[in-house]
Amino acid sequence: MSLVPGLGIVRGMSLTLRRFFEPKATVHYPEVKADVAAKFRGRLQLLLDEHGALKCETCFQCAQACPIECIDMGGMDTKGRFHVHWGPPETYGERREESAIRRSGRTVPDPAFASFSPEDLSPLEDILDRCDHDPKRLLEILEATQAAYGFLPVAAIKTISQGTGAWYAMIYGTATYFGHLRFESPQAEAQVRAMAERRPSEASYLDRLGASLAGQSVAGESAGASAPGAAAAGSSRARATGARPTGPRPTRAAPARGARKGGTPGSRASES
Amino acid sequence: MTAISRTWDQLTLPGKFLAVVVPLLLFLTAGGVITILLFGGIVWQAILDHLEIVRLLVAALALVLIFIPFAFVIIYMELKVIARMNLRIGPDRVGPWGTLMSLVPGLKVLTKEDFIPTRADPLVFTWAPVVVFATSVMSALVLPFAPGLYGQDLNIGLLYFFAVGGMAVVGLLMGGWASFNKYSLLGGLRSAAQIVSYEIPLTLSVVGLIILAGTMSLNQIVEQQSGWFTSWYVFRQPLAFVIFFIAATAEANRTPFDLTEADSEIVAGFATEYSGMRFGFFFFAEYVNVFIVSALTTVLFLGGWNAPIDLPHVAIALDPGAYGLGLLFFVLLVPVIGTLVLAAPVYLLRSQTRWWVALIIGFVLFNVVAAGLTFLWAYVSFDFVAGLVWLLGKAFALVFVFVWMRGTLPRVRIDQLMGFAWKWLLPAALLNLFVTAAAVIAVDALKGTPL
Repeated sequence: MSLVPGLGIVRGMSLTLRRFFEPKATVHYPEVKADVAAKFRGRLQLLLDEHGALKCETCFQCAQACPIECIDMGGMDTKGRFHVHWGPPETYGERREESAIRRSGRTVPDPAFASFSPEDLSPLEDILDRCDHDPKRLLEILEATQAAYGFLPVAAIKTISQGTGAWYAMIYGTATYFGHLRFESPQAEAQVRAMAERRPSEASYLDRLGASLAGQSVAGESAGASAPGAAAAGSSRARATGARPTGPRPTRAAPARGARKGGTPGSRASES
Repeated sequence: MTAISRTWDQLTLPGKFLAVVVPLLLFLTAGGVITILLFGGIVWQAILDHLEIVRLLVAALALVLIFIPFAFVIIYMELKVIARMNLRIGPDRVGPWGTLMSLVPGLKVLTKEDFIPTRADPLVFTWAPVVVFATSVMSALVLPFAPGLYGQDLNIGLLYFFAVGGMAVVGLLMGGWASFNKYSLLGGLRSAAQIVSYEIPLTLSVVGLIILAGTMSLNQIVEQQSGWFTSWYVFRQPLAFVIFFIAATAEANRTPFDLTEADSEIVAGFATEYSGMRFGFFFFAEYVNVFIVSALTTVLFLGGWNAPIDLPHVAIALDPGAYGLGLLFFVLLVPVIGTLVLAAPVYLLRSQTRWWVALIIGFVLFNVVAAGLTFLWAYVSFDFVAGLVWLLGKAFALVFVFVWMRGTLPRVRIDQLMGFAWKWLLPAALLNLFVTAAAVIAVDALKGTPL
């Protein structure tokens, strides 16, 4: 309510009049196409709902549509073992249905998501209170959060963003700038590092690829022997999707570890 | 018979068309000529005897015919203006720049099923849209469009306008009542409550103006505002103008007071059961009302058909007889020379242009220039053209304001609507009336003229 009656109407009318003369947002699609990069596929990111649960319903459409096969699903099971696909493939269909029900607003008990424990945000609230919700003291907040949780969970970053008013992207950028801030727990990072070490080097894949392209018979016993983990992963994927029953896949990127921790941005899923 | 059918089959499509149309035209022409020769004198005498009645009929017919394109223009304006305010482009596929877009809903409405609900009152149901539309047209009969261009010049024109315009409520109530649907009835009552409430400030706000003008004839009110724009009544009655405009918005059922229609909330209220062209008439009457209200606001407050500045009267004496044979050469040569002159730069400056393309462009340009010059000549020479230009310009500027308001303001609640009418507009209108009356008495007393 302003002191002058009707001032709000005048301001609104002036706004619409300005909009009247501004350039228009419409793109005449079939004739004119928006100017985006040729490889643009939108931003890759795993999103969370307001309870901190993953919104991904493992429908695999993103993995199927990915032109360079950089997307895959996977994560740690309860015993800390890594699986390329989360859960038994026979339950994909019913899990997709459940996710549809979940999106309709009802809560669905889902064993597949049982290990996704929501983060306890009460220490973070204390930290924010202590730092006066001040976005200028972001580094202090982030360090205290890492001290409290051991790493920076996405739910915590979102809460910091809401509490301080800083953008999520700004906080994420700040956190990625400093090397001592982590987005994964040390155990998970060690697990991933161990996986990467057990995986054969890229040169062996390239050798096999060059050999198969040259039409030679499979000379890959040595490569296959040196890559037991990758062979297991590849065969499980082949069983799951029924596609391309060949040997180890070339240069599978590190799978989306965010499935466990909830939503590190997709750029991490494509790092090798 | 076979010979005829064989001949018919041998004709091409244009031949078949001409074979039907030409005899028909000949027959109609001959019939018309014979009828005029036999009865023309009697009919002409009857027309001359009852000139006023004929004038009324012609005016009503002309108004109905002129409001159809006006409504289409307003619908197009609304689509386009609101789209631009939403940072969209709006319709641009149907016709050039989407100008034929407003014909599409009309065509759609025409092809819909004409439906009357079971147990509805068919007579009242059928006549409700007619009443609504007819009141719009009838109230426009007193609007002076230009000097000498009006349906009737009543000395109680303003009273007539409000009286006939108020009859639209009857049509809305008829529609709501006859639909055999309690929600339609509620919608009708709701719109009746709204319109009746806003009639009071609408009429009261004009009373001050009538005191100043001393007449209720719209023609005389316009004539009193001639000269510079400072003599417009909007500068002498600013409060009345604001009240009148707000109340007129409610009268025309426009946003933010379009509770009668409220298409997003109460599916068109009283018109829920209407379909096809019956609904089309309600729809049409709404847009016609927008124009009529804008035109009346223009006539009362914005000088009507007067130009805002006192233009010197320039009459170009064009006497065709004075030019003799030169006129013939003028008519024959000017289009050719104009086309060539306008085509020359196009042909000379762009080397890719073919000569015939340049000629076509030149011809189009010549037509544009000639139309502009003709319009200029008509504006200068004829008072009613100039008056029509100014009145339509002002009225459509007000229509733009209505559309602008629709693009900006949200719909008010029914209690806010009624509270605003009774608690704010009515006292303000009364205040305006008293202040005006007191001022008139005071000025008369100071001048020493007897009351």
